[in-house]
Amino acid sequence: MRTIETDVLVIGGGATGTGCARDLAMRGIRAILVEKGDLTHGTTGRYHGLLHSGGRYVTKDPQSATECARENVVLRKIMPHCLEDTSGFFVTTPWDDPAYGDVFVKNCRLTGVPVQELSVQEMLRREPMLNPQISRVFEVMDGSADSFLATRSTALSAEEYGAQIWTYHHVVDLVREGDRVTGAVVEDLRNGERIGILCAYVLNAAGAWAGKIAAMAGVTVTVLPGKGTMVAMNHRMVNTVVNRCKLPDDGDIIVPIHTVAVIGTTDVHVPDPDVYGIEPDEIQFMLAEGDKLLPGFSQYRALRAWAGVRPLYKDRDVVNDRDIPRTFKLLDHAERDGVEGMLSIVGGKWTTYRLMAEESVDALAKRLGNTRPCRTAEEPLPLPPTEHQTTFRPPIRTTGPGARVAAEVEALQRAPLYWLGKHLSEVEREQSFADLICECEMASRSRVLAAIDAGAKNLDDIRRDVRMGMGPCQGGWCIYRTTALLFERRGEDGLSQANSNDALLHFLQARWKGLVPVLWGDQLRQARLDELIYVGVLGADRLRSIAEQGGGLVTDNPAVATEYVKA
Amino acid sequence: MNYETIVIGAGLSGMMAALGRAERGERVMVLAKGHGSTHWAAGCLDLLAEAEDPLGAINQLVQAKPAHPYALAGVAALEQALTRVRGVGEAAGYPLVGNAGRNLLMPTALGALRPTAFVPATMVNGEARQLGDGRPTLIVGLHELRDFFPPLIAANLRAQGYPAEGVYLELPPVERSHDFSPVVVARLFERPAFRAAIGRQLAVLVRKGGYARVGLPAVLGLYNAVEVVRELQALTGALIFEIPTLPTSVPGMRLFQAFEQALTKAGGRIQIGGWVLRGEGSGSHLHAVFSEAASREQRHMARRWVLATGGIMGGGLRAEHTGVVNETALGLPVRTPSGRSDWFQARFLDEAGHPVFRAGIAVDAQLRPLDAADQIVYTNVAVVGSALADCDPIREGCLEGIALATGFAAGQL
Repeated sequence: MRTIETDVLVIGGGATGTGCARDLAMRGIRAILVEKGDLTHGTTGRYHGLLHSGGRYVTKDPQSATECARENVVLRKIMPHCLEDTSGFFVTTPWDDPAYGDVFVKNCRLTGVPVQELSVQEMLRREPMLNPQISRVFEVMDGSADSFLATRSTALSAEEYGAQIWTYHHVVDLVREGDRVTGAVVEDLRNGERIGILCAYVLNAAGAWAGKIAAMAGVTVTVLPGKGTMVAMNHRMVNTVVNRCKLPDDGDIIVPIHTVAVIGTTDVHVPDPDVYGIEPDEIQFMLAEGDKLLPGFSQYRALRAWAGVRPLYKDRDVVNDRDIPRTFKLLDHAERDGVEGMLSIVGGKWTTYRLMAEESVDALAKRLGNTRPCRTAEEPLPLPPTEHQTTFRPPIRTTGPGARVAAEVEALQRAPLYWLGKHLSEVEREQSFADLICECEMASRSRVLAAIDAGAKNLDDIRRDVRMGMGPCQGGWCIYRTTALLFERRGEDGLSQANSNDALLHFLQARWKGLVPVLWGDQLRQARLDELIYVGVLGADRLRSIAEQGGGLVTDNPAVATEYVKA
Repeated sequence: MNYETIVIGAGLSGMMAALGRAERGERVMVLAKGHGSTHWAAGCLDLLAEAEDPLGAINQLVQAKPAHPYALAGVAALEQALTRVRGVGEAAGYPLVGNAGRNLLMPTALGALRPTAFVPATMVNGEARQLGDGRPTLIVGLHELRDFFPPLIAANLRAQGYPAEGVYLELPPVERSHDFSPVVVARLFERPAFRAAIGRQLAVLVRKGGYARVGLPAVLGLYNAVEVVRELQALTGALIFEIPTLPTSVPGMRLFQAFEQALTKAGGRIQIGGWVLRGEGSGSHLHAVFSEAASREQRHMARRWVLATGGIMGGGLRAEHTGVVNETALGLPVRTPSGRSDWFQARFLDEAGHPVFRAGIAVDAQLRPLDAADQIVYTNVAVVGSALADCDPIREGCLEGIALATGFAAGQL
């Protein structure tokens, strides 16, 4: 077994782990990050994409609200290309306690969450589809975030500073010598090779899986996987994030992101983060809740449903999972359990990932005798090769609670913010209409090829990079095209047609899992057309006998299969 | 205007039924929201996929499953329908080649081999038994046409024992085009200069590589594909064949055109863009249907009706999240698998198919719609094609066979 030495082994390629790897590398600390799937494969890639203003937590979880409000501004400065400045409303519908509005505003002020009340008339001018029976509206600095792109950009920065990012590497075991964790044995899922990693510290950033990792070192960390189910709808019926003005509950938020609007979420405790399903009544409940915010919401075409597992850390008896604080906690296992050489970072939210990384790395740096300061809040993230080098700057927000920050960010003249028309404007500029591999999400051939060249290990990786297959047709056309491009691009590097066939079959199945909960009406009709294409025209079902995993791809590994495995 | 028969739906089943009635001398109109699944499918005639001898297997199937659409239409109707559809192809200069007693194995745009009973003459040189004669095949595409990828097709053919290479040609100079869909490229192949430029490139490749056959995407012209194939064969000295692309299906459009010509010649009319919203009847007699039209509903009257609106894909059936499946034009009763939880298999490509797609309208031996108590809903309506219950035409590989057999039967009743 090959053995490698490093300072810190980071476990988990979500936002937090990747943020830690970047912070470590920027301070000159050697780091290796291992992730059993692709980056964002776990919870980061399965959330609704809200850049929190903090508004959702002002009452129940004020510390988290303050952290969100601060990090919201930091993220706008360091990753504008990943964020859309949608702004956000908290609205009082006839189903909500009218008295909460004043409590909400008071608590926003107490926690430092910028807020401003709007007239219902102004709300309807900006978002005419919203329920006219809404009685009060408060505007906050919510936005939407591309968590795939953000993590990809963070990893790129980490690598530029010398960190190693190993995706599709699964932790087989942690090595414990006496009272100290001294490293880990990991397995490369592409070829089964086992590698020993010797390190001064293990940083457990495995989110909902942190309990499983800690157990390998004989330490108990109770992470309650809280399943949140979301549904993507085929229209952006609002361009502003809309929250119910009440304490956070199921189906109370609509997030416009890229070409869709996502309604979320449920919160259901699941015993194991790898074993959960989506229940039909969860979907129906959320669509019905959507109707309260936006009459007719449930009649739009639902594209897909998915679930992520929140990494809620439980350090005392809590009855309702929504009552567990959304703040994060850094666990020093030397202090807590008498085991040296390992820290766990648990809980938290996507919006506060950078802060979580900063605190974790501060603690590690102190132990390693490194005194260099954290710079992750100042230095902007690089753009991955799948991103257009766009020059157009969308107009910035000039009114409301976000106006001051918008001007501040604009003055930095960093990469432009994401905006809905971005991909179309690039396609128009390049005149690449005839080169779209995924028409639904406007992913051009050059961006798909860039994603392949960036090291995609299956079609799902390409999807996370360029959103191929995420639109209304759910891959009817682009799965075939992308598979063929993958084969053409990697054929020289040992990727066989059999490996390509396997990638195609695997991805068709992955899409199917997310479709089944929302298949009725037009989306069922679409699924039937996709069946005609893949069975009746392409004969993909007849490729099974000439399909096999390999060629540098990971397509069907139980260690990676986390989605919708029915208990 | 009063019609003797109005056929709702312009897919293969509707066109077949309309042609039958028009040839019996009736005044016939096809009223359709849009084109049918001809424009999406491969443009071949699938009778039954999982059988070497489809006709033999269908003979067994109709014994075993008396409610299957093939059993209702009868094997004789299928055989006569096949004779008629081949006549329609011949008349349009677009012959269909094959044998109901033996499935052909045709290469797909993935390089898989798909069984089907009849293919247009433009495809037949690609049949697997020919590809297996030991002489090499060249699969050729255009970079600009992103619905066809020769290297993967050739590699999958090789993996199954058929010597093949895949290359891209240079796109001959064309006037500016924003997109290169299969239909756009098919129009380019209608131009002699474009064909000649492609032919020159192919001739060089064939000479250098010693290829016996050349497979191209099924975009070799919209109207004169057989001529285009002949011309390219003369220019290259190799056998030329088409492989179906991702939709839009150019071979399917040609098949529709052939029916359109036949129907027009027989005096029938086609109105596309007429979305039937509801029917009006008394007792078990349907008097009229209403279609969506500018600022009003348009009323259509006929003595006899054929419902050929398709299944869930065609839009003839629509499933609601409540677990109910509705028939969209006339509101006929639909036989549906019990609840939403039983609609789907866990695997997308499960061989058994997804139960929801077996939903449809139950009919009697004259294809008249039945209610839950097996009573006839309308005596002057026949239901044909994918709207029928107890069959999954895509998974069973009988999409065209069912359409033609039931359409033919409704044309003769």
